[in-house]
Amino acid sequence: MKSRRWNRQVMMMGYDHISPWMQESEELPVEMSARVRLARNVSHLPFPYMMKGNDAIAPVLEKLEKTLTGYRRVEMSGLQFEDKALLVEKHLVSPLFTKQGLLSYISEDESVSIMVNEEDHLRIQTMGVGLPMMDLYRKADAIDDMLESEVDYAFDEKYGYLTACPTNVGTGLRASVMLHLPALTFGSRIQPLSANLSRFGFTLRGIYGEGSVPLGHIYQLSNQLTLGQTEEEIINNLDELKERIVEEEMEMRSWLESEHLLEVKDSVYRSYGLLKHAYRMPLKEAAKCLSDLKLGTDLNLIELEGFQFQKWIQLIQPAFIKMRLNEKDIEITSLEHAVEEERAALMRQLLGGE
Amino acid sequence: MSFSTQRSDEMKCESCNEREATIHISKGNGFEKTEKFLCEQCANASFENDFSYPDDSFNIQKLLKSLSEHPSLQQTKRRPKQCATCGSTINTIVQMGKFGCPDCYTTFGSQAADIISRVQAHQSEHVGKVPVKARAQLKTKKQLEQLKGELAKLVEAQEFEEAAVVRDEIKALEQAGDDDGI
Repeated sequence: MKSRRWNRQVMMMGYDHISPWMQESEELPVEMSARVRLARNVSHLPFPYMMKGNDAIAPVLEKLEKTLTGYRRVEMSGLQFEDKALLVEKHLVSPLFTKQGLLSYISEDESVSIMVNEEDHLRIQTMGVGLPMMDLYRKADAIDDMLESEVDYAFDEKYGYLTACPTNVGTGLRASVMLHLPALTFGSRIQPLSANLSRFGFTLRGIYGEGSVPLGHIYQLSNQLTLGQTEEEIINNLDELKERIVEEEMEMRSWLESEHLLEVKDSVYRSYGLLKHAYRMPLKEAAKCLSDLKLGTDLNLIELEGFQFQKWIQLIQPAFIKMRLNEKDIEITSLEHAVEEERAALMRQLLGGE
Repeated sequence: MSFSTQRSDEMKCESCNEREATIHISKGNGFEKTEKFLCEQCANASFENDFSYPDDSFNIQKLLKSLSEHPSLQQTKRRPKQCATCGSTINTIVQMGKFGCPDCYTTFGSQAADIISRVQAHQSEHVGKVPVKARAQLKTKKQLEQLKGELAKLVEAQEFEEAAVVRDEIKALEQAGDDDGI
């Protein structure tokens, strides 16, 4: 028997709860949280993966910290694996960052995170729900201006902001929005939609970015190209595409309602039953069931007090669940089972089951 | 290399052609095998001299030495271009799928342009935000380009008085640029 106390650091820092910016947000039928990130580098300095040690970036950080008031400095080297995973699940840092990142500056409401030495020297990220994407960009843009007053950015007249990977060069801007698309998924419309989007330089993928599996019918829409368009054009195009996808999803939902009401109702209530009464719940199943409940509430097929899809989807993620297990004694070999049991217990508790 | 001693009444040493060959030395294998039958004295000497192949062109030490004596050859023909700031070559960049530092973008000029155009759907010009610091520099640069064009036209039209005015403007702008550290 071994006591697990993984998350001491993040718990002490208060990262064991849903981010304040998300707590305060209203949930929409399809649109979920949105993010904007700017990739920036310091001139004449090797990119992070080529850096030998962190001495070269240290003077840059000293300068940055002059302007970064109200941000908490979170050093990756001080965190254990589960702590890092929790930050990833909250989208405060990227999976890559947990492996090679140096430190992150996180705003009080956790809507801004600046990663130091991810793939690029600096990655400025802003997050929000239900805000116009342009607002998120403006916020990131203002932070960018602030940082630029202290640091010499690597900028080229022809190529714009220079980045480690040529897929980010130019604006360094990646804007993304999460969309809950159960009806388009049931209608097998995701593949053709995704193929069409890539022709416009946009991509649709799983919630944790590149290569991740779609969970709970949630997809991330983001721009693929960063060169040859202004930031405003990229944001406006993304917004427009997002509106179109939301419209298509809503149309498909109407079709489901008129043509397949019984099937939809059946899956909504089956999922409700499972979440309320199951004693073991793998992540995928829990996400699928929550997705069904969300569709059910959006279509007014079921009424659930206090149901919050986006927040619950975060609470069922492995690191969040393991944190709940923190003080319990669990053998390593039975950890997976313990997580599934705990996830089921959480769901029963949230839905008022036994 | 292998060698064996043998007694041979017929064979004389291949090196001195006087003493009896008592030692058989073979070196290399397969296609490049060489064999020698030597007397003891010449065999000992051959170890010191490393007689090896009759043609010595593949001696790696010699090759490296000759290269180091010709640095220009070394840089232009033998070694791929390297970024002075980070040491990346076009091979490492292609392998990693990443540039090593911001300076790689200029170091690998046309190759960088090629890579960018490929991943950015044939786009090649940034049209978005320009950092405040770079904005001032670009403005001066564009003004200078414009004035120099004007100057050339005026000189061609032999309007020297006006050309002198433009020339002074260029000078002033260049000096101001120097003061700003541009």
